[in-house]
Amino acid sequence: MPEPRTITIEVLRYQPAEGNKPYVQSWPVAFTDDMSVLQGLQHIKDYADGSLTFRWSCRMAICGSCGMMIDGKPQLACRSFLREFYPGPLRVEALAHFPIERDLVVDAEDFMTKLARIKPYIVPREERSLAEGEYRQTPAELERYEQFSHCINCMLCYAACPQYGLDPSFLGPGVTALLHRYNSDSRDGAKNERMQLVHAEDGVWACTAVGYCSEVCPKQVDPANAVNQNKTASAVDWFARFLPGHK
Amino acid sequence: MARRPYVRTMDGWWKRDAFFMRYMAREATAIFVVIYAFVLLAGVVQLARGEAAFAAWVAALHSPASIAMHVVLLAAFIYHTYTWFEIMPKTMPPIVVAGRKLSPGVITGAGLAASAVLSIALLLVVRALAS
Amino acid sequence: MEHFEADIVIVGGGGAGLRAAIAVAQADPSLTIALVSKVYPMRSHTVAAEGGSAGVVLPEDSLEHHFNDTVSGGDWLCDQDAVEYFVAHCTEEMVQLEHWGCPWSRRADGRANVRAFGGMKIERTWFAADLTGFHMLHTLFQTSMKFPSIRRFDEHFCCDLMVEEGRAQGVLAIEIATGEFRMIRAGAVIIATGGAGRVFRQNTNGGIVTGDGMALAYRRGVPLRDMEFVQYHPTCMPGTGLLFTEACRGEGGILVNRHGHRYLQDYGLGPPDPWPRKKAMELGPRDRLSQAFWHEERKGNTIETPHGAAVHLDLRHLGAKVLRERLPQIREMAHEFLGIDPALAAIPVRPAVHYTMGGIPADLRTATPLPGLFAAGECASSGIHGANRLGSNSLAELCVFGKVAGEEAARFAKEIGKAANGVGLRWQAQDSQGRALRVLEGPGGGEALAPVREAMALAMEQGCGIYRTGGGIEETCRALAELKGRHGRLTLQDRSRAWNTQWLAALELGFQLDVAEAMAHSALARRESRGAHQRLDEGFTERDDLRYLKHTMAWHAADGAPRIGWSDVVITRSPPATRAYGAAGEAAESAAHSRKAVNA
Repeated sequence: MPEPRTITIEVLRYQPAEGNKPYVQSWPVAFTDDMSVLQGLQHIKDYADGSLTFRWSCRMAICGSCGMMIDGKPQLACRSFLREFYPGPLRVEALAHFPIERDLVVDAEDFMTKLARIKPYIVPREERSLAEGEYRQTPAELERYEQFSHCINCMLCYAACPQYGLDPSFLGPGVTALLHRYNSDSRDGAKNERMQLVHAEDGVWACTAVGYCSEVCPKQVDPANAVNQNKTASAVDWFARFLPGHK
Repeated sequence: MARRPYVRTMDGWWKRDAFFMRYMAREATAIFVVIYAFVLLAGVVQLARGEAAFAAWVAALHSPASIAMHVVLLAAFIYHTYTWFEIMPKTMPPIVVAGRKLSPGVITGAGLAASAVLSIALLLVVRALAS
Repeated sequence: MEHFEADIVIVGGGGAGLRAAIAVAQADPSLTIALVSKVYPMRSHTVAAEGGSAGVVLPEDSLEHHFNDTVSGGDWLCDQDAVEYFVAHCTEEMVQLEHWGCPWSRRADGRANVRAFGGMKIERTWFAADLTGFHMLHTLFQTSMKFPSIRRFDEHFCCDLMVEEGRAQGVLAIEIATGEFRMIRAGAVIIATGGAGRVFRQNTNGGIVTGDGMALAYRRGVPLRDMEFVQYHPTCMPGTGLLFTEACRGEGGILVNRHGHRYLQDYGLGPPDPWPRKKAMELGPRDRLSQAFWHEERKGNTIETPHGAAVHLDLRHLGAKVLRERLPQIREMAHEFLGIDPALAAIPVRPAVHYTMGGIPADLRTATPLPGLFAAGECASSGIHGANRLGSNSLAELCVFGKVAGEEAARFAKEIGKAANGVGLRWQAQDSQGRALRVLEGPGGGEALAPVREAMALAMEQGCGIYRTGGGIEETCRALAELKGRHGRLTLQDRSRAWNTQWLAALELGFQLDVAEAMAHSALARRESRGAHQRLDEGFTERDDLRYLKHTMAWHAADGAPRIGWSDVVITRSPPATRAYGAAGEAAESAAHSRKAVNA
């Protein structure tokens, strides 16, 4: 087994006490090729500085907790590996475009509020009792929305989106992807209601197709596609209102 | 004890990441499109003023400064076209051909190929008309 | 200290907690629900479950088959009345989830697909690609947003249960962002805090799976049941312990040792072909597969990796297309962490701790021994898993008993009304706050947190591993007692209040040490081998129904070892029989079948 190498991890730290400002602190970390950045941070917390604070849980890129700026890019700490940044130093900061609560922890409430706003649940197109069993949904119908259902709510896309950074009232990539997931689900009938959020100025029209959100998404959800498809949908919807019989 | 979230500045955001810089360059090409539109507009205006005026405009286009400007404009237009088709797949719903979704690369490639073909065709037509 | 009131407080926002919250909201929209979770609900560990959730659908399947698979899988330690209720309600819960939007994988005709899973005779595992837990959790979480009566206390760390007049009357929680304490009084409390796998060194669990709710109830006099039964999942990544789903084997994956030999046939699970075949070879139950690994390691048949011994999970023959469609997450994990493409090379795997069968005793209606306290999910001992859980029964359990917990808590809260007098509770909360603050602010004795945690995890791996000996368990009990002392002398580096995760980790370590002690002492008391609890001591290597067809119960002692007692196992339809798989299982089954035919 090859000798462990050492990399310096620099973290932008912040304590929310009166008058504090963020500052950088570094530690050397010995690592092997299969060690993630998250394991590096855990090592620092366990053996060097117990006050280093960050969110984490599953360690397998599915819970969405450990999003942060790693080497200047929004990534999941559990799925970035220290070997990728050698010789370093490796700079780690809290997810961009969000207020820092402490160290690598950001205020996620804006995302949570927006998520609740889009009616992220099935409003059935037609009623069906449990006794009648499951709604029928073909593999093709499932495919129409499945990709967008993979969002793990990690918020990397918000850290990638400069429009969100410049104006946080933008609904944003991840939430729009979930909105699109429900609109595209053959069982759902609430598309019209959700379109109100899409049409709004801080809906899809705040997006200027930078496309970085889809680049950084760890689950290949392609939120840029969800947002920009809905620009077309929004425009079509707007014109369709002039047609007779339109609701 | 209390919460005291720290909001970081967005100043110079586009310099932070190569992706953002490429995005800004893409957006900037719109300026070059506008410039060229004015060049063409000037030509139309001169055309309306008569043969002599139009000939003068054409002659001006041949100046070294003008040629330099046109080279820059062409480069900007090519980048504009490339980035246009690069982002186009993001705006489209899935296109299913023979049971498989078309990949973004195919859509971009098709768009660029079509642009190249049409540009060359237009060039040939214009040359034929001019001679 | 801020004070809140709700009709029902639910601790834990994973699958069971969310299902309970929705059940309360649907049962009676006028009831207020406080959903308290130390993480945002979509981070709960339900999210990591992969393979699927059980529910009988095929015409050739039956509730009786599911019942029998579960009871024999649990080595007859299951409470059979609970299993009967469970199997009868799985399918309707899977349909309910589907109605709420869960993207189950489908057959061509649009109906939900089901696949084979370990220890199950007939395909009955509903799945959503290899992201079943993820999709179930997100479906439940997003659906819960429909109900205005559910008030969430996200990122609130529950540090104590409030008990007054002999019943549960609320919780004390720390708002993580500020470090401030909040007391939430309620008519009924549901604990849905998940398992305790993190007390072991190699485990599949997320950092949050620290047995919090089990410890909270335990410290308030509620016994913990069957704690010695800890499931080792046979196919996990060496080192990190990350899970490679059982579905790999359901799709036809095989396990081979260093010599390329499908070794499970040497442990009563054969013959190897035809393959895949239910309840045989790689689709045998998890405890048997983990035990086989242990033996192979002894024999020197395992492969050496930088993180210890392993065997090979070979998926190459499935082909790239099946891997891409049915097991995409596995492909990703193998590639990112190990640099392996499963279509081209086998994946090194080894057992790691995955699930806690034991927990807070919960009856058929999820009621615990403490009035007003209900428990559902992995933190509960509902009686359905017995000595070993079958894959895909756990996700189904979250919904079946999560719903029951919600309905029962709603009924209890309505009957009891609000707590009449809050003064006693306030004193209790103050006292509890003081204890939690002492962990933070006390001078301690200079002990550091990480070494204590690691020593606990190592002691548990050594003494409460796949195979146990009396001497080994006793050593672990001694180690744990010493570690509890060291925990009492912790000195934290982080003394702040806002977002102090070192403080929370210290509180969690306290929970874990209590739970670990219950596990170790229960293991010592059970002098037989059954399911996931296997002993090498002479005389204890076989199942002993005469003496040990009963549950262990561990009661917390203020200082010193837990007191161990016993309680009865409910047997209804299925008297204890030999637990057999593979060819032996098929023979036993046809013998039983012909016996039935003769007696009819």
